[in-house]
Amino acid sequence: MTNTWALCALWVGLALAATLLAIWFKISTALSEIVVGTVAQLVIGVFLTGFFGFAQGGLAGNTQWITFLSGTGAIVLTFLAGAELDPVIFKTKWREASIIGLAGFFGPFLGCTAVAHYVLHWAIMPSWLCGVALSTTSVAVVYAVMLELGFNVTEYGKAILAACFINDLGTVIALGLIFSPFTIKTLIFVVVSIVVLIVLPFLTPRFFKKYGGRVSELEAKYLLFFLFAMGGLALWAGSEPVLPAYMIGMVLAGTVGKDHSLIRRLRTLTFGLLTPFYFIRAGSFVSVQALMAAPVTLIVLFGAKSLFKAIAVYPAVRIHKYDGKAGAYYTLMMSTGLTFGTISALFGLNHQIITPAQYSYIVGTVIASAVIPTMIANSFFLPHHLLPHKQAGKKAEKGVMRPVPAEEG
Amino acid sequence: MGSPVFVGIQRILVAFDASPHAEHALDVALSMAGDMKAKLFVISVIRPPEPAESAEFHAVLEDGQERYEKCFVSLRERAKQKDIEIETDIVLGHPAEQIIHKADVVQASLIVMGKRSHTILHRWMLGSNSERVLRYAHCPVMIVH
Repeated sequence: MTNTWALCALWVGLALAATLLAIWFKISTALSEIVVGTVAQLVIGVFLTGFFGFAQGGLAGNTQWITFLSGTGAIVLTFLAGAELDPVIFKTKWREASIIGLAGFFGPFLGCTAVAHYVLHWAIMPSWLCGVALSTTSVAVVYAVMLELGFNVTEYGKAILAACFINDLGTVIALGLIFSPFTIKTLIFVVVSIVVLIVLPFLTPRFFKKYGGRVSELEAKYLLFFLFAMGGLALWAGSEPVLPAYMIGMVLAGTVGKDHSLIRRLRTLTFGLLTPFYFIRAGSFVSVQALMAAPVTLIVLFGAKSLFKAIAVYPAVRIHKYDGKAGAYYTLMMSTGLTFGTISALFGLNHQIITPAQYSYIVGTVIASAVIPTMIANSFFLPHHLLPHKQAGKKAEKGVMRPVPAEEG
Repeated sequence: MGSPVFVGIQRILVAFDASPHAEHALDVALSMAGDMKAKLFVISVIRPPEPAESAEFHAVLEDGQERYEKCFVSLRERAKQKDIEIETDIVLGHPAEQIIHKADVVQASLIVMGKRSHTILHRWMLGSNSERVLRYAHCPVMIVH
C-alpha cells in the first residue's frame, strides 16, 4: 500500500528544494521544478526504488491524487495567464495583434508538424501534437523583457503583448479541439462555452459585489467551480480543460483580473500547492536517456520552431512597418515559450498521443525556447531607436514601475 | 565638509535592496549628502526570475514594488529631516545593468552601494553586482562594507 503522506512529503520536499535552487540561481521556480522533477525521477527510479515502500516507479507521478493536483495546477495557472490580458491594449491593437498572433501560431504549428512528420518520421498525431506544443509563445517572458526595457508603454510593446495572447489562444484552441473527434459532445461543449463566456463577465462582478469580501473565500470557490465544471465538460467532449480555463481568464481579465487581492490569493494557492505538483510531474516524465540517445532531435525541433516563427512572424511584422532590428526583435520575442508548451506536451503524454521519448524532446525544446531567443534578441537585435526615452520620468501604465531603458551601446 | 576628494559631488546614487548592507550604505550616503548638500537618488531593482513564468513574474513584481515602497516612506522622512533632496525609483531588470544605466541618466557623481557577502559558489556562478558596477560604471563607486 502506498504511504500517501510519505509520498506527499517527498513531493513537497522536492518543491522546497526546487524553490531554494530558484532563489539561489535567480531562475524561475517553474523551470527549477521541471529540472528537479527530472533529476529526482532519475535518481529515485535508478537508486531508491523499493525504499520506504512509496518509491515504486520512481516519483509515482501517475498516482491519482498527484494527477488531480497537477491538473488543477495547470487549470488555475492557465486561468491566471488569461486573466493577465489587458483589455485596453487589446482593444487598441486587436487588428495588428490578430494578424501577427495568428501568423505566430500557424507558422510553427504547421512547420513543426511537417518537420516532425517528414524529417523525424514521427506518426501524424504525435507530429500534430509537436506542432501545437511548439507553436506557443510566452507572454510572461515577453512582458518581463518589455518592462525591463521600458517597451511596455510604447505602441510597439503593446502590440507585441497583445499578439502573444492571440498566439497562445491559437495554441489552446488547437490543443482543445484538434485531438478530439467532432461529435455532438463537441458541439454541446462549444455552445455551453460560448454561453458561459458571455454570461460570466456580467455575472461575476455583480455576484462578487453582493457576496464577496468575506473570510469564507467565496470568490475562489466560485472561480474554481466554473473552472472545474467547464474543465469537466471539456474532458467529456474529448477536449482539454485548459481551453475553457484560458478563455474564462481572458473574459474576466477586465474585472477579476483587476482585483489584485483576489489574484494574489489565487497565486498563493497555485504556487504553494498546485504548480509544484504540475511542474515536478512534467519534469519527472522527461527521459534523460532519450535526450542523451538522440540530442540531434532536440536541435532539429528547436531549429524548426525558431525558423518557422521567423518565416511566419517576420513578414507579418514587416507589413506593420517594423523593419530591421525592430522586426527581428519582435519575431524573436514571439519565439519564446514555457507554460503552454509543457501543458501541451503533458496532454499528449497523458492521452498517449506521444511516447515518453517524444515528450522528452518536446519539453527540452520548450525549455530551450524559453531561454535562447530572449538572449539572442537582447544581445543582437535590441531596437534602441524605439526605446521610450521621452517617457522616462513618467509613471508606467501598470503599477508603480517606472520604465527604464536598458544600457545602450 | 568631507575630504577634498568629495568636492563637486552633487548627485549621489544609492543602490538599495533592503538588505542590512544596503541599509548601511544608505546611512553613509545620507550622511554624505547632508554634508555636501548633494541630491540623493535611490534605486531599487527587482530582478525577475528567468525565464519568467506568468503568475510568478507578476507576484515577484508586486511583492518587490510593495516592499521597496514601504522602505522608501521612512527613507523620505529621514531625508526630509536632514533637508536632503531625494528621488526614489523602482526598476526591473539585472541590478548591475540598471544601476549603471540610472547613474548615466541622472548624471551621478558617485554611486554608493553595500557589499553582500556571497559564497564563492554564488560569485562564481552569478558574479557580484558590486564588482560589475565597479568595473563598468562611468563615475566613482563607493562600496560600503
